[in-house]
Amino acid sequence: MVAADPLSVIFAALADPTRRAILTRLADGDATVTELAEPFSISLPAISRHLKVLENAGLISRSRSGQWRSSTLEAAPLREATAWMEQYRQFWDASFDRLDAHLRRVQQDRSEQAATSEGITQ
Amino acid sequence: MTTTSELTISRIFDAPPELVYRAFVDADQICQWFGPVGYTCPYESVHSDARVGGHQRMVMISDDDPNDRSTIDMTFTEVVENELLVGHQDVEGIPLTTGTVRFHMRLEFHEEPGGKTRLELRQGPFRELLGDDAGAGWESSFTRLDSLLRRSL
Repeated sequence: MVAADPLSVIFAALADPTRRAILTRLADGDATVTELAEPFSISLPAISRHLKVLENAGLISRSRSGQWRSSTLEAAPLREATAWMEQYRQFWDASFDRLDAHLRRVQQDRSEQAATSEGITQ
Repeated sequence: MTTTSELTISRIFDAPPELVYRAFVDADQICQWFGPVGYTCPYESVHSDARVGGHQRMVMISDDDPNDRSTIDMTFTEVVENELLVGHQDVEGIPLTTGTVRFHMRLEFHEEPGGKTRLELRQGPFRELLGDDAGAGWESSFTRLDSLLRRSL
């Protein structure tokens, strides 16, 4: 099997509404599996499976204290996912700066051409 | 649904819409501005056919490393000359991704006073899987997740 790239793993983890809700809850502070399961009508093992997916994506880390271990939100991968879009914004900003200069040249050429043809007709 | 899944850029150009539009669809103009400084888009790699079902293809190559290259293939689904370009863009060679990524692209060219153009660009989704599988009940948690993403920047 080909290893999935990090962004795909992050996006796949974020694709599920329950997992997004878990991340949102963890933004308020660390929580145990029981605390995380509270708002949902799903079983603890199901929540644990979601946590496993989030952990594999690096979106959370879990402390190692048995049944009471709590989950912590990890911001870095989220930053990476957001940074992807920011790179595109920078890409366009840089391109559009060049487009500005290009459009100035095009308009200059046009007015020079117009001046030349005026000269010819005179 | 989330504000972070789509990139929107609004920018004023000091040139009328017909000139700005041509800069986007003429093959010999695109390679003169497309891509950041440090990247070249060779003229012979550019193909542009701005009609519904037509393609616009190009290759962008890093000046420092010829292996750092990206292939862009846009298929037009809506074209209104001097006003609108809509389509999907298949991009290969984006860092941190494998294979081809498909974006939806929308470019609106609005006439502004003084012979200027306001370009509205929409590109996405950047979080295609952070999707529309959710009902309205999740909306508030998205909003909070969005602000979390912004804070983490």
